[in-house]
Amino acid sequence: MSEKQGLKDFISRLLLLDLVKGLIVTLKYHNAALVQKRGATGQGDDPLKGIYTKQYPKERPIVAERFRGAPRLNNDPETGETLCIACNLCALACPEDCINVGSENREVMEGGKLKKKKVLTVYTFDTSRCMFCNLCSEACPTDCVELTQNFELASYTRIGAMWDREDLEGGRAIKQYTS
Amino acid sequence: MQIAGPAGWLRSVLPQSISDSVVYDVIWPLIQIAVALFIVMTLVAYLTLAERKISAWIQSRMGPMRVGPWGLLQPAADGLKLLIKEDIIPLLADKAVFTIAPIVSMVAAITVLVIIPYGAGWAPITDVNIALLFILAFSSVGTLGIILGGWASNSKYPLLGALRSSAQMISYEVAMGLALIGPLMWSKTLSMVGIVNAQNGDHIWYVFYQPLGFLIYFVCALAETNRAPFDLPEAESELTGGFHTEYSGFRFSLYFIAEYAAMFTVSAIAVTVFLGGWDFGGLIGHFLANTHQNVYTVISIIVFFGKVLLLLWAFMWFRWTFPRYRYDQLMDVGWKWLIPASLANIVLTGVWFVIGISIPDGKPFLKNYGTYIAAPGFPAKAYVIGSAFLVTITLTAILLSSINKHSRDFNLRTQRQLQLQKRAERLAEAGNM
Repeated sequence: MSEKQGLKDFISRLLLLDLVKGLIVTLKYHNAALVQKRGATGQGDDPLKGIYTKQYPKERPIVAERFRGAPRLNNDPETGETLCIACNLCALACPEDCINVGSENREVMEGGKLKKKKVLTVYTFDTSRCMFCNLCSEACPTDCVELTQNFELASYTRIGAMWDREDLEGGRAIKQYTS
Repeated sequence: MQIAGPAGWLRSVLPQSISDSVVYDVIWPLIQIAVALFIVMTLVAYLTLAERKISAWIQSRMGPMRVGPWGLLQPAADGLKLLIKEDIIPLLADKAVFTIAPIVSMVAAITVLVIIPYGAGWAPITDVNIALLFILAFSSVGTLGIILGGWASNSKYPLLGALRSSAQMISYEVAMGLALIGPLMWSKTLSMVGIVNAQNGDHIWYVFYQPLGFLIYFVCALAETNRAPFDLPEAESELTGGFHTEYSGFRFSLYFIAEYAAMFTVSAIAVTVFLGGWDFGGLIGHFLANTHQNVYTVISIIVFFGKVLLLLWAFMWFRWTFPRYRYDQLMDVGWKWLIPASLANIVLTGVWFVIGISIPDGKPFLKNYGTYIAAPGFPAKAYVIGSAFLVTITLTAILLSSINKHSRDFNLRTQRQLQLQKRAERLAEAGNM
């Protein structure tokens, strides 16, 4: 160590500069927490400072763009009927075998003609075994089954983890906490 | 006898059958004590919330938000929880001492509140001429409560915490007392009101006359109240809970309240002795002091509490910035740095004092006003402040660092050499076999 460095070291120890540096860092975080929230996308507010906490039941968190959560069966937006053609491809694609598709052959009026058609009767989705790999959605030829951004899948019973067709099409009612 | 302010108003309201002495010496002080106790205890309760909030902000969190708006009712919820918790006394504990210990801490912390000068005029409850001595004595009784509690628990960790606490008290009480002597050399009194009046008379805060003293006092105050970075008696990561590991329910909360009340007390002393007490100076202060006595007093109380709160905030800021000292480091700081530094501060203050009172000839810088010593005028103040900031601190730092430079290395080197020697002996023995 040279003589000059020794003097510098001495002065910084005399004025307790290292302690002051630490204090300034915490003071910055303290003040940032008082005035701003941490920007979710890093726009506007400082992405490294400000309050990071999200008050979850009161305040909805913003999940990542490619986050996969609760399943959904889409309906045809024009007719309101299900898009599912009961082809069973999703069930075959599922590595966990958590999808169960039930169908029957029925005679259906279509375009003024009586047609024999495979119609969906039962569709159950076991969210307790699902690993949200999105293979079912990729296998679906009609873009019917899809994984949404909803992450609130908790239930009080094991059977509650089984989503039937009604749940899958309409979504489950979630109790919203406001305070 | 006519006394201004609320005491005089009380006299005019109460019937004449109650004598003057009863009103002025019994009823009015009791009201003051009740009000002061209520305010300070509420403050202490909210300090626990402030501690959690400030730690949260420093760590980019929010802190308690659920009880009341912004968590403002959290202290009430905490108190209720502690009240209805089971009160456990360990089987082999010394029951009497175990019960008394938190009360000792609490009483010591609360008694001191009587002496603190909350404001100008009628605000201080009493003006004792040995106030500072009294406060220092009682704050060490608070540590006695910690030692008793740790010993009576009959458990390893509390005992270790208590031992640490006693060592810490011995090391830091000395430096704390010595650091307070510097300002006392100027004020020439131990009375809290007297110290503030001396600062008012000199139009200065003693922190400018005694920067080194303030620094030492502040560090010692942190150590005395067991705050981080000196929170060794209750070091969570090492001793689970330290001295209060075995305490639960309301006994624990007594310790908790005592700790925060002690924080308030040391901050109040720091404000009184170093930061000018209730003084808020300027033309407004002098105008109000001469015309609107009561308004002046009320503002002075607010100013006093504002200063105390600022210091308490700094306490919390320090706690959430610095990691805990190791035990030998704690002793190092206490004995090798703070105590010699406070002694050097006293000596150097005396030197500046003697020089200032004798030169320049005929018109000395310092004047003795009977009750206190002051430095009137700009050159005098520049002399005192300059010598304190530039010369005292630098001289002390150079002196101490040159003395302490090799002590630590010496110890480490001897230890290492001893180990090497032992190892060589072992190897030689193995070779012979």
